[in-house]
Amino acid sequence: MSEYLLEMRAIVKDFAGVKALDGIDLAVRAGECVGLCGENGAGKSTLMKVLSAVYPHGTWSGRILWEGRELQARSIRETEAAGIVIIHQELMLVPHLSVTENIFLGNEITNAFGMLDYEAMHRRAAALMAELRMPQVNVALPVSQYGGGHQQLIEIAKALNKQARLLILDEPTSSLTRAETEVLLDILRELKKKGVASVLISHKLEEIEAVCDTITVIRDGRHIGTRPMGELSVEQIIAMMVGREITELFPREPHAIGEVIFEARHVTCYDPDNPARKRVDDVSFALRRGEILGVAGLVGAGRTEMAMAIFGAYPGRSTLELWMEGRRLSVRSPQEAVAAGICLVPEDRKRHGIVPLMGVGHNITLSVLSAHARHGVVDSVGELRVIDRMIERMRIKTASSLLPIRGLSGGNQQKAVLAKMLQPAPRVLILDEPTRGVDVGAKYEIYKLMMAFVKEGMSILMISSELPELLGVADRVIVIGEGRLRGDFVNDGLSQEAVMAAAIGQTETPPAARAD
Amino acid sequence: MSSLRTLQQLFSRYKILTLLIAIALIWTFFTWQSEGAFLTSRNLSNLLRQMAITAMLACGMVFVIIAGEIDLSVGSMLGLLGGVAAVLDVSFQLPFWLNLPVVLLLGLALGLFNGYWIAYLRVPSFIVGLAGMLVFRGVLLAVTDGSTIAIESQSFVGLGQAYLPPFAGYVLAVLLFAIVVALTFVGRANRRRYQLPVASVWQEGGKLAAIGIIIAGFVSVLNSYEGIPVPVLLMLIILGAFSFVARRTVFGRRIYAVGSNLEATRLSGVNTRLVKMSLFGLMGLMCALAGLTNTARLAAGSPSAGNMGELDAIASCFIGGASMRGGSGTVLGAIIGALIMASLDNGMSMLSVESYWQMIVKGSILLLAVWLDVVSGSER
Repeated sequence: MSEYLLEMRAIVKDFAGVKALDGIDLAVRAGECVGLCGENGAGKSTLMKVLSAVYPHGTWSGRILWEGRELQARSIRETEAAGIVIIHQELMLVPHLSVTENIFLGNEITNAFGMLDYEAMHRRAAALMAELRMPQVNVALPVSQYGGGHQQLIEIAKALNKQARLLILDEPTSSLTRAETEVLLDILRELKKKGVASVLISHKLEEIEAVCDTITVIRDGRHIGTRPMGELSVEQIIAMMVGREITELFPREPHAIGEVIFEARHVTCYDPDNPARKRVDDVSFALRRGEILGVAGLVGAGRTEMAMAIFGAYPGRSTLELWMEGRRLSVRSPQEAVAAGICLVPEDRKRHGIVPLMGVGHNITLSVLSAHARHGVVDSVGELRVIDRMIERMRIKTASSLLPIRGLSGGNQQKAVLAKMLQPAPRVLILDEPTRGVDVGAKYEIYKLMMAFVKEGMSILMISSELPELLGVADRVIVIGEGRLRGDFVNDGLSQEAVMAAAIGQTETPPAARAD
Repeated sequence: MSSLRTLQQLFSRYKILTLLIAIALIWTFFTWQSEGAFLTSRNLSNLLRQMAITAMLACGMVFVIIAGEIDLSVGSMLGLLGGVAAVLDVSFQLPFWLNLPVVLLLGLALGLFNGYWIAYLRVPSFIVGLAGMLVFRGVLLAVTDGSTIAIESQSFVGLGQAYLPPFAGYVLAVLLFAIVVALTFVGRANRRRYQLPVASVWQEGGKLAAIGIIIAGFVSVLNSYEGIPVPVLLMLIILGAFSFVARRTVFGRRIYAVGSNLEATRLSGVNTRLVKMSLFGLMGLMCALAGLTNTARLAAGSPSAGNMGELDAIASCFIGGASMRGGSGTVLGAIIGALIMASLDNGMSMLSVESYWQMIVKGSILLLAVWLDVVSGSER
C-alpha cells in the first residue's frame, strides 16, 4: 500500500501549443484535505479536469497513481467508479427533479421489474442528508426548493452516494453565505475523520487554513510548492501565488487627469437565482476625466455584475445611482446607457460581443448604424468609409471588411468589438477583461489604444484578473471582494501583493482611499 | 466521404444556384411526364399566380426566421383578413380603395399584437403563433358564419385575377433591366473605390446577359398568354422591396444581427425588442396582402382560406436556405423556395397524383432541404 491515495506526477497539458499545465505534482493521503491555490488562470481547474478524466488519458502527459496503481481513465464514469468525484463550481443539479432523484441520477435503484424503487432511494437519500446534518431536507421535494448552500450539500450527498473516496471541490463556497460556508467546512472536517480525502480549490485562504492539512500552490501552470498548512503564513502564500515578474511591456504614458465626471453610487446587485444573496453589495466609486480606473478582484467577486448593472444589462434586480457631470442618469437598458455616454466591451466575446455571421465591418457599425442612414436607408459609402477608418486605427487584420467576424483571431475580434463600442463616442468606456484570449501583440495594441483614448479625455473603467496588466496601465485601482469594495489604491508603485491581499480579504481596513 | 464533403461545401456556397438546378430538374421531369403540357405559357402563368400568395407570406416569414423566431399563425391570419375584406365588401359595401388600406392596417395591427406578446411579454413565438392559429381561425369562422362570401367589387377581384397589358409588361421588363444594369455599374464603382475584388467584365457581362434573357423570357412567356398577372407583379415588387430592406436598411441589418446574436446586439445599444415587434408587424402586413389577393383570386372569402398556409411559407424559407438557427437567409431564396413548392403542387396536380402523395413528397423535400442546411452548417 502506497503512502498516498493519489499521486499526480509531472502532469503536462497543452492547448494548441500553449502549456496550461507544465509539470504539476499533487499528492493526497487518505483522509487528507489538500488546498489548491493559485491566481485566476493558474491551471487549477485544468488540473482537476485531468484528474477526473474530463480530459481523458492520452490527451495529456504524466502519470496518475491511484492507490499506487496507474490510473488510465478515459471517461468520468471510470474515475467515478474508482472513487474520484468532482463537484464543479457550477452545480450540476437538475432543478425540477427531487433531491432523491438528483442524488440517484444515473445511479438509480431499481426493483426486479426494472421499476424505480423510490422507497429504497428515499430512505438512502434521507440517511445521507442526515449524515450531512440536514435532516430537515425533504428529499421528495424538487431541488429548486432549496437555496445555494443546500444545493451544494446535495451535490456532496450525490458524491458520497457514489462511494467517493476523493472529493474534489472547485470553489464550493463562491455562491454560499457565511453561515452556509461554515456548515460546509464542518462537513469536510467530518469527512476527513471518515477517511474521505478531498482537494479544495478556493480563493479564500481562511477557508483553506480552516480545514486543509496541506497546501499546494500553482502559478502559470507550474508547481510552486507544497507545504504542511501550519508552515506558511498568509503573506507567504500570497507571495507564492503572485510571484510573477512584470515582464510584459506596458505603454504607460503620462496623461492629464481632470475632474470627476462619472460616479456610480451604492451599486447593489441581487443574485437572479437567489434573491436573498447580494452579488454586489453597496459599491461606490468615482471616475475622473482621462483616468483609467482598474477594477481588481477574484473571479466571481461581482465585478462583471457591477459593470453590467451600470450598463443597464444586469439580468437580476439591482439598485444604483449614476451621476454624469453632476447630473443623475436614468439607465435601464444598454440602449439608454449608450445614449448617456456609457459603453461596455463585455467579458464574454463570443456570447456578448460579436455577431458571428456578420461581416467585420457591419459588426463595427452595429452600435451606430442609424447615424449612417437617412430615412432608415444605410448610406453604404459613408458606412464603408467609417469602417475603413476604424479598421486602420484599430489595426484589425482582415482580408476584407466583408468577411464574417467569426473567422478572425481572438485579438482581432476583440479590436472589432472595441471599435464598435467606440463608435458612439462614449465618455465612459467600461472594458471587462479586454485582453482575455488575446495574443501578446494584440494586447499591447489594445493598451496603446487605451492610452490614446484617455489622452482624448475619455475615462476608462477596466476590469481585469491579470494583476500585472492592471498595475501596468491603470492610474488607480479599486478592489472588489465578495461583492464589496475592499480597497482603493492610487497606482503609484502599488504592489501585486497589496492588491491580492485586499482581494482575498486579508487587509482589515482598506488603505487610505484617495482624497478627493 | 470526401466527395460528400465537397458536395456539402458546394451546397452551402451556391445555395441559390442549387435551388435553380432543383427547379430545372423538377420542371424537366413534369414536362416529360405531362408530354409538354407543364411548360406551356398558360400553365406557367397559372403556376406563378398560385405561388404568389405563398411567396408573399414567405417574404415576411423569412425575416421572422432570420431573426430566430417563427410564426405559425400566418395561415389563419391570412384567412381572417381575407374574410374580413370580403365581409367589408359585401356587408358594408366598402369601396375597394378604402377596403384595401383598412385591411392592411388591420393586418399590421394584428402582427404588432403578436409581436408585442413575443418581444415584450416574452412568450415564445412558437406558442404565440400556435395560439394565433386557433384564435384567428376561430374569429374567421365567427365573422363568416362558416360560409363562403362571394365578393362583389370588380376592382377587388382584379387584384387577384387581372393581367397587366402586354405592352406595359414589356415596358416594365426594359425598366427592370435598366435598373439591374445601373445597379451593377454603381456596385462595381463602389467596389473599385474600396479596393475590393471586382469581377471581370466578361463575367459581369455574362451575368447581365443571363439576367436579361431571364427577364425577357419571363415577360414574353407571360405576355404570350394574357400578360403578367397582377399578383405576380405584386410579388415581384415585394421581392424587390424586401431585398432592399434586407440589404440596405438599418432595420434589415438589425434583423440579421438579432438572429445571429441577440445578446451582442442588445449590448450594442440596439432596441432589440422593438426590432422583433416590428418584424411581426411586417409579417401581419404581408398576411393582409396575401389574404386580400387570395380572396380576390377566388372572388370569395372562405372560412378555410389559408389552411396550412403557414407550413408552405415556412417550408419555402427553409428550402430557400434560411437557417433554423437564425442569422442567415435571403428573400430571393424564400421566393425560389415558394416556386419549388408551387411547382410540385402544380405538376403533381397536373399528373393527377393522389393528394396524399403530394403531401408525402412535399414533406420529404422539406426534410431533405433542412438536412442539407444542417450538414453544410456542421462545419461551423
